[in-house]
Amino acid sequence: MLLAVENISKRFGGLVALDNVSLTVRQGSIFGLVGPNGSGKTTLVNLISGFLRPTRGRVLFEGKEIQNRAPDQIARTGLCRTFQITLNPQRMTVMENMLLGATAQYGERIIAAALRPGRVRQQEQQNLQRAWELLEMVHLERHADEYAGSLSGGQKKLLALVQVLMAEPHLILLDEPVAGVNPRLIEDIVKVIVQLREQGHTFLVIEHNMQVVRRMCDEICVLDMGQVLAQGEPEEVLARDDVLRAYISAGGDIAQAGDPDAAPTETTP
Amino acid sequence: MTAFVVYLLTIAGIYGIMSLSLSLQYGQTGLVNFGQIGLFMVGAYASAALTVVAGWPIILGAIAGVAAAALFGVLMALPIGDLRQDYWAIATLAAAELIRVVFLNATLGDPYVGASYGVSGIPSPLLELIPDGSYGWFYLALVGLCAAGCYGVVIWACRSPFGRVLKSLREGGDEVAQALGKEVRRARISAMALGGAIAGLGGVLFAHYIGYIDPTYFLPLETFLVWAMVILGGSGNHLGALGGALIIQIINNGTRFLNLPDQFAALRMVLIGVLIILVILYMPKGLIPERRRRYGGRNAARR
Amino acid sequence: MITQILINSLIRGSELALLAVGLTMIYDVLRFPSFVHVEFGTVGAFIAFSISSILPFGPITAIVIGGCAAMVIGGALGVASDRLIFSRLRDATPIILMVASFGLAFVFRFGSQAIWGASPQSFPLPLMRSWSVLGGRLAPQSAAIIIATVISMLVFYFLLNRTRLGIAMRATADDADLSEASGAYSERIIRVVWFIGAGFAALGGILIGVATQVQPNMGYAVILPVFAAAIFGGIGNPYGAVLGAMVIGLAENVGLAINWAALLQPLGLVDTDYLAIPVGYKQAIPFALLIFMLLFRPQGLLGRKST
Repeated sequence: MLLAVENISKRFGGLVALDNVSLTVRQGSIFGLVGPNGSGKTTLVNLISGFLRPTRGRVLFEGKEIQNRAPDQIARTGLCRTFQITLNPQRMTVMENMLLGATAQYGERIIAAALRPGRVRQQEQQNLQRAWELLEMVHLERHADEYAGSLSGGQKKLLALVQVLMAEPHLILLDEPVAGVNPRLIEDIVKVIVQLREQGHTFLVIEHNMQVVRRMCDEICVLDMGQVLAQGEPEEVLARDDVLRAYISAGGDIAQAGDPDAAPTETTP
Repeated sequence: MTAFVVYLLTIAGIYGIMSLSLSLQYGQTGLVNFGQIGLFMVGAYASAALTVVAGWPIILGAIAGVAAAALFGVLMALPIGDLRQDYWAIATLAAAELIRVVFLNATLGDPYVGASYGVSGIPSPLLELIPDGSYGWFYLALVGLCAAGCYGVVIWACRSPFGRVLKSLREGGDEVAQALGKEVRRARISAMALGGAIAGLGGVLFAHYIGYIDPTYFLPLETFLVWAMVILGGSGNHLGALGGALIIQIINNGTRFLNLPDQFAALRMVLIGVLIILVILYMPKGLIPERRRRYGGRNAARR
Repeated sequence: MITQILINSLIRGSELALLAVGLTMIYDVLRFPSFVHVEFGTVGAFIAFSISSILPFGPITAIVIGGCAAMVIGGALGVASDRLIFSRLRDATPIILMVASFGLAFVFRFGSQAIWGASPQSFPLPLMRSWSVLGGRLAPQSAAIIIATVISMLVFYFLLNRTRLGIAMRATADDADLSEASGAYSERIIRVVWFIGAGFAALGGILIGVATQVQPNMGYAVILPVFAAAIFGGIGNPYGAVLGAMVIGLAENVGLAINWAALLQPLGLVDTDYLAIPVGYKQAIPFALLIFMLLFRPQGLLGRKST
């Protein structure tokens, strides 16, 4: 198992956000995390990525406990995440954003950078090379010298995705990768994610758009009110009555959630 | 008149070094340091005290001054992550004032050195080797050399991967940088250490140029003048910071030789205040806006 | 001795309180620390001084009338500052607002110096004998400062609790607490806050001018104690700001009077019998308290706001 979440609980004061949640993510798969708003999905991602500490339970990544590590430490061990609202540095160019994504950069420590300029330059060349390849993959290479803030909402999502890839992560957590993105770009984003899985990458994805979930996820987990409601293959799980009820009682609707126009639009282009 | 222009340029150069330091802290890293003058003061006092009281050679005093200011910068950096930006800004202002009150009260070894007596008789470097009339020119060249060196260091640091991390802290805040695996705290401490060292060098140059310092030279007003320089020149553009320093010092000191009455002197500061407001309202990028770094096409990278 | 310390603390606290109340309100509503705030005190004191010196009445009547006029003018200056500068920066970051506010502080402070000169001036008060209060001494003008502050706070309480606008403001403040949203206040409330805040600051400046002297850097001299008072009380809590001002006044006066050796000796930290903070460090006490509060309890003593 690449990632194993074991009996995780999280309380905020008296509020139980997550209650005894367990799940495992297999190497080379796309794992979907779904559930109505407020069911604890983002809290779980924040716990896995180290931005929150669990009240109880363990998170194992490649066999090691990581629930008490700092977010930057976790990222450096190869577990990287994106944010629901794309927070990419706005007044940095697309290329600067990409180069920022690479981990283990020698030149990020000032004294090391001063002592070994040759090595820094060499590493920078390698990162630049890889950044061009990734930008070409998502057709952003023409925008390399533009500010990230000037990209459209969908392009920002793509940038966040390939920026994380610069770190050569073993597991990528995506928090709503297609929310607020227009249908044509959704298609592109899904294609890229599926293509990356084919290359051996592993994803844990929070997504509201059920069509997208059905199309790309190998396995999903439905959270409701902080608890695991169902886990298994997407078609099977999404057909279950209790899953449908959870969505309807939360004011949502699976059919509607699958409609791209109804997707929540946190990011306005 | 020539002597006055040389003096003005020297002071502008020293403040240029200060504004380069703030440009690194605020322009690149987004740190709102309202205690900038504290770094300058620590550098000035350390070097002055060590050369005057302890009799150290000037060069060692200067190094100690730069190191002391860098250390003060590190101390200021420690709580940044836990504090809201505006609270940290107020705290830095208070910290610089706290240090100033200490210098205002504490004597340095000798009962008539330090405190409100200030430190006098601060030696000037190579005074005996330079022909009489040209010492001002020599010191201007020295300051110019130091300013150019600091400019080079700041530009180098900002273009390095280290500088990229600093910029991401300015733009995205801690969360994004941490999610990308960056050592946020270490980067900020390094930025404040480097910024402190540069401002400290400015203080050292100031002390050995004027030859006398006391706490009235280091009022918070000076911090705000440095801010005016960076905002006017264009935050995020280090050349702009140098240009801003020259313009503000010309406004601040340029009419001094005219022997105008006090009240006119106050109008110069009013003008600086108006300039700050106008720049913020109508020219938020400053005189020289921040430049995008261009990587060109893919082929440029392959070459 | 103790009575005198308490009286002095109360006077100092009263001087700071009015400035701190306005600062905390503006900080809360516009979400930035205004470095221009204390300068409304400077300008207010000078205006009151000018008006009172041309009025054909006795000194005390003239000062009261001049003071009231200066408060209104100060308030109007506050509203004008907002209209001309800060209202155009509603979407700007707190940093930009801070920088703009100290730019404006330059204009007010050095504008005052350009108009009225740098040398200190005194209100033409007649020489009055101090009263003896419980073994301490209290000068009549100091008593006036305390009384003026108390009256102002009562008026402020009335405005906040009995007028429709005040009630609307408090409701918005509570909503803003829940939603954490900035920009929750209507433009009308923002204008009123500027008027009241700057008007109170003007009165605060006048009181300091009456107690000591009127000079261009008088506002600037209290900026950090005023910030300390506002942070102590918790940003957005006007009553907390008054309490904070009193704490700062007390700390400045008590801190000097304490024989620290008596406290530290039992702990084995010092081996002298007498250790007092030198008078020169008095002004450092609020700075140190301010840093301490920011580091360890930024939500203030009462802690209405947790952000």
